[in-house]
Amino acid sequence: MTDSVVKTRKHKRGFNKNIYGYIFTAPFIIGFLLFSLYPLLYTFYMSITDMTMMKKSYEIVGFTNFTKLFSDKFFLQALGNTWKIWLLNFIPQIGIAMLLAVWFTSKRLKIKLVGFWRTIYYLPNLLMPATIAVLFFNLFSLYGPVNQFAVRSGFINDAIDFFRSNGWTQSILIFVQWWMWFGSTLIILMAGMTSISPSYYESAMVDGANTWQMFKKITLPLLKPVLIYTLVTSLVGGMQMFDIPYMLTDGRGSPNGSIMTLNVLMYMKFSSNKGHIGAAASVGVMIFIITCAASLLVFRVLKERDHYDKKKIAKKVVKEGNYELQN
Amino acid sequence: MSYKIRTRILRVFVYSILTLLLIMCIVPIWMLFINATRSTAEIQQGISLLPGNNLMANWKNLTGRGFAIAKGFLNSSIISVSVTIITVYFSLMFAYAIHVYDFFYKKFLYGFVLVLVMVPMQVAIIGFFRYMAILKLTNSYIPLILPAIAAPASIFFAKQYLEAVVVKDLIDAARIDGCSELAIFHRIMLPIARPGAFTMGIFAFVGAWNNFFTPFILISKMDKYTLPMLVQTLRGDTYRTEYGSIYLGLALSIIPIIAVYAIFSKYIVSGISMGAVKE
Repeated sequence: MTDSVVKTRKHKRGFNKNIYGYIFTAPFIIGFLLFSLYPLLYTFYMSITDMTMMKKSYEIVGFTNFTKLFSDKFFLQALGNTWKIWLLNFIPQIGIAMLLAVWFTSKRLKIKLVGFWRTIYYLPNLLMPATIAVLFFNLFSLYGPVNQFAVRSGFINDAIDFFRSNGWTQSILIFVQWWMWFGSTLIILMAGMTSISPSYYESAMVDGANTWQMFKKITLPLLKPVLIYTLVTSLVGGMQMFDIPYMLTDGRGSPNGSIMTLNVLMYMKFSSNKGHIGAAASVGVMIFIITCAASLLVFRVLKERDHYDKKKIAKKVVKEGNYELQN
Repeated sequence: MSYKIRTRILRVFVYSILTLLLIMCIVPIWMLFINATRSTAEIQQGISLLPGNNLMANWKNLTGRGFAIAKGFLNSSIISVSVTIITVYFSLMFAYAIHVYDFFYKKFLYGFVLVLVMVPMQVAIIGFFRYMAILKLTNSYIPLILPAIAAPASIFFAKQYLEAVVVKDLIDAARIDGCSELAIFHRIMLPIARPGAFTMGIFAFVGAWNNFFTPFILISKMDKYTLPMLVQTLRGDTYRTEYGSIYLGLALSIIPIIAVYAIFSKYIVSGISMGAVKE
């Protein structure tokens, strides 16, 4: 009998304390509903209206804003720019970060002061994007330090007007984005690499695998979750790129809209003198849909392969009779 | 060639690449600080890697043209400190609930938070702006601070951290001693999680300090401008050719972050890895 009393008490206490699960998560839920979900849904709603800042009344116009977008050459240009700028900064970013991560974790090279290098490479990521944009605008201006250096050391004969050339402006933006993010990617990849058990490499070495084979057959497959994380977070950030392209030139993606990203276009529609916030919202909705679709695609494609590779590794490990390694 | 010699050559190559990247990271920032101390004429004459002595003149010129840097610092500090406290406190609270209690929608909720980390919420800014305009909250800091209650990335980090440090036996012991659940969270869990809270705090602070987009959309009154918004005015016509002053303004805007980084870089670097690894 005493036993059952204890049990009910325990049960009762368990029930009581778990109420705190609801209480402690309530602020997040309320905050999320009020400040994230509602604005998001409201943005979706606004995107099917002809709302402007000027007048109070508005009408629901269906998908007019969207059909207009797809016949708007600015939108198509912004869409292309955003993808181009993101891809051209992401590929070298992950490539160099991967190379550095391999070097830093290499037992053969035994690089010294790894912490120091990483700390410096990460620094640009912390600086204010507004500051970075204005800084690079000044560094690359017609009479700026870059031109001074290049002309005086004889690389070029005449100063280049970087921000009048589409190609240069895009390249500078891509460079700045790369400059800001390669250190962060490096740290994440390194953390992923150091969490791989050394016994995989040891057994591969016993089998006579070379560095490249080990990288391809062990590091890459086991790093896949970290790579997916990096890819998706970079994608989400890249599709929403705003600060640097907005402030690097005049805020309209000049010259010729070459660095006008989707978010810059959204802001241009928002701040235009008619204040077409319905149309601006439709750009926001498009960014949202494109980003989510692309992220999902990444998960779909890479997750399946991940599964396949894990199986392959397990098989290989089993074949080698090293059962302890498969997990 | 022997393996040893090849390794040595490779090492020289690797170190030269590392040095090159180091220069690429440092030089723009170095130039920024150096040029902040030089006059416009000196800057136009050529590059220098040593500071000049025009700092005071640049300062006078900068502040004389309406660059209200003190006010900007104050505004940014108010927002960033509030955001930091709110983010850390509520993220830990949420993560603690997920870690310690069992409740009906727990798994779903945490999975949902993980998905949220990867959803582009910034694009809802137009709706957010109009919603705040209806509530008459534009030009107020409330819409910049309160949304920090729901910070998915921080929650993700907090959860990872609590899993590593919070021992359930300790909580049970406190319960037997008659401690209430709220007291356990505040008096036992928060002190234990202090190092993690600190790392989270740094990231929350830096994020809020550097945030340009949201205040830019919501705030139009000059005296409410945050630091990034002030920096943006350096692009305008007021300072067209006053390069020394522009550089000084830029330098001032990043000094706090560089100072924070110089002191806490270990926390920051380990914090990034912790947020990413482990599925």
